[in-house]
Amino acid sequence: MFDLIGNLGLGFATALSPVNLLLAFVGCLVGTLIGVLPGIGPIATIAMLLPLTFKVDPTGALIMLAGIYYGAQYGGSTTAILVNIPGEATSVVTTLDGHAMAKKGQAGIALGIAAIGSFFAGTVATLVIAAIGAPLTKLALLFGPAEYFGLMVLGLGLAIVLARGSVLKAVIMVVFGLLLATVGQDLETGQERLTLGFDDLADGIDFAVLAMGVFGIAEILRNLESPETRNVVKGHIGRLLPSLADLRRSFGPIVRATGLGSALGILPGNGAVLAPFASYTLEKKLAKDPSRFGKGAIEGVAGPEAANNAGAQTAFIPLLTLGIPPNAVMALMVGAMTIHGVIPGPLVMTKSPSLFWGMIASMWIGNLMLLIINLPLIGLWVRLLKVPYRLLFIMILLFCCIGIYSINNNPSDVYFMAFFGLVGYVLIKLGLEAAPMLLGFVLGRLMEEKLRQALALSEGSFMTFVERPVSAALLLLALAIMVIAVLPTVRKGREEAFQE
Amino acid sequence: MAPNETNSSRSPTAIWLRQDFVGGLVVIAVALFAFWQAADLPIGTLGGMGPGMLPKSLAVLFGLLGAALVLDSFLETSLPLEPWSIRGPVLVALAIVAFGLTVRPLGLVVAGPLAIVIAAFASDEVHWVETIVVGVLMTAVCVGLFKFALGLPIPLAPWLIGY
Repeated sequence: MFDLIGNLGLGFATALSPVNLLLAFVGCLVGTLIGVLPGIGPIATIAMLLPLTFKVDPTGALIMLAGIYYGAQYGGSTTAILVNIPGEATSVVTTLDGHAMAKKGQAGIALGIAAIGSFFAGTVATLVIAAIGAPLTKLALLFGPAEYFGLMVLGLGLAIVLARGSVLKAVIMVVFGLLLATVGQDLETGQERLTLGFDDLADGIDFAVLAMGVFGIAEILRNLESPETRNVVKGHIGRLLPSLADLRRSFGPIVRATGLGSALGILPGNGAVLAPFASYTLEKKLAKDPSRFGKGAIEGVAGPEAANNAGAQTAFIPLLTLGIPPNAVMALMVGAMTIHGVIPGPLVMTKSPSLFWGMIASMWIGNLMLLIINLPLIGLWVRLLKVPYRLLFIMILLFCCIGIYSINNNPSDVYFMAFFGLVGYVLIKLGLEAAPMLLGFVLGRLMEEKLRQALALSEGSFMTFVERPVSAALLLLALAIMVIAVLPTVRKGREEAFQE
Repeated sequence: MAPNETNSSRSPTAIWLRQDFVGGLVVIAVALFAFWQAADLPIGTLGGMGPGMLPKSLAVLFGLLGAALVLDSFLETSLPLEPWSIRGPVLVALAIVAFGLTVRPLGLVVAGPLAIVIAAFASDEVHWVETIVVGVLMTAVCVGLFKFALGLPIPLAPWLIGY
C-alpha cells in the first residue's frame, strides 16, 4: 500500500513538471482534433501523430502519446454523438443514444456526461493499473517462453471470438497477420524471408505503415464510395453540464461500466472492444423502462463511454507488465516506445520507474485535461465537422503522407502505405475484417521467437506446452473459447449480440 | 475465376459473384504465392527451426483456410460481391505515390499541393480553385507545423533554398 502511494507520488512528480504538463495538453488537443475528423479512428490518428513526439525525451514522448490516445478516443465519441458516425468499433454504441440525445437538443449534455463518465472511469482505471501493475510484473518474470506463447495464443483466440462476422473469416485474418509478420530477416539466421527482393522489407513490414494503410487509407477509399450523408446536429448544442437528475441516473451505469471495462481491458486480445457493448446490454437489461434506449437515454451514453475509457486504459496493463500488446493501438505504442529506446515489458518498471509511473500518473492528468479542453471547445469541433468530406479527405491524406514519411524519412514507406491501403480496400470488399489481422501481425514475431525458444529448450517436443501447468491452462482456455464460439447455440447468440 | 465452371443457377447469387467464393480464391492465391516465395528457405527441425518453417506452415494453413471459405460459400448463403470503384483507389494511390516520388527531390512545397490536387480528383465533385487554395494553405500549415514547430527533417524545397 505504501509502495503504491510512493510510486504514484513519484509518477505525479514526473507528470506534473511544466514541460510534461504541456506535452500532455498538446497531445490531448491534437489527438482530439484529428480524432474528431469523421472516419479516422484512434489507430490512424496515433500513426499520423507519432512523429510529433520524436524530438521529446522518452518520458515526455510517452506522456504525449498517452494524451494523443485519450484525445483520439474522446474525439471519436464527439463525432459519434454529433454526426452519428462512429470513428471506430468502440463508439458504435455511443451513436445509438448519443445521437438521439443530440437530435433532441441535448448534444451538450451527451458530450458532458461522456466526458464525466470517461473521467471517472479513467481515474479508477489508473488506480487499477497502479495497484496490479507491480504484482503482475513479478508474475511476468516467472513466465518462460512456453507460457508467453500460450498467453499469446489465448489473446489471438479472444480476438477471433470477439471479431464481427464469421469465425472462419476471423481465423483467416489472424493467420494472414501471422504470415505477414514472417516477412523480413529470420530471427536467428538473418536470412531474408518473403521480402520479394525489396531491401526496405529486410526489417519486416513497418507496423505503422500497415496500420495506416488498412485503417487510414482504406477508410478514405470506403468513404469516397458512399455519397455523403453527414447530418451534423444543427443549431444549439444546449448546456454542457448534466442536471443533478441526469447525474443521479448516470451514476450507477458509470460505476458498473467502469468495473466491466477495467476487467475486460486487461484481457489479451482486445477485450476492451467488448466493454461498451457489454455495458449497453447490461444497462438495458437493468433499466425499468428498456424502451427508452435508442431514443436518447442518458444511461446509454454514460455507461458505454465509461466502459470504453476504462478498457482503453487497462489495456496498457498487458503491455506494460508482460510486453504483450493486446490490440492495435497498443502495438503502435510498442513501436513508439521502441523508437525512444524503451522495450515494453516487465523490466520497464524496475529499470525506469519514473518513466513507468510518470506515464501512469499522466493518464489521470490526461483524463482531467480532456474534461477541461473539450467542454469549451465543442463549438470548434462542430464547425470542423461541417467541412465537406471532399476537402477533409485530401487534408487527411496529406497528413498521412507526411506522418508516415517522417517516421523513417523513407519514401518507400509512403509507397507501401498506398499498397496496404489498396489491400485494405480489397479486404473491405471481401468482407474480411482488418482488426484480427493486425493483432496477428503484432504478436507474430514475438510468438515465433517464443515458440522457437520453447521448442529449442524441449528439443522439439510439443509436450513442453502441456507439461507446464500455466501454459497448458492458457492453451486449454484458448481452445475452450474457440470451441464455444463455433457451437451452434452460442454462434446464434453471438450474431444477435453483434446485431444489437 | 472462370465464370463457366459451375452451374448453380438456382441460387440467388451465382457462385462466382459471391463474396466468400472470391475471397477464398484470393486467400488461396496469396497462400500459393507465399509458399512459392518461401520455397528455398530451409525448414530445419522442430528443435532447431529453420527460417522456412513458419512461413511455409503458415502458408499451408492459410491456403487450407481459403479452401474452407470456398467450400463454405457453396453451403451457406454468402453476400454478393459489392461493386468496386476504380476512380477512388487509383487516384488516391497515385496521389500518395506522387508525394513519395517528389518529397525528396522537390520538397514538401511541391509534393504537398501535387498530392492534394491529384487526390481531389478521387472525389466526384472537383472544384479547381477550392482545391488549389486548400492545397497551398494545407502545405503552408504542414510546413509551419512539421518543419518549424517540430523540426522534422522533411525537405522543404531543396531546389530553391537548399533544404
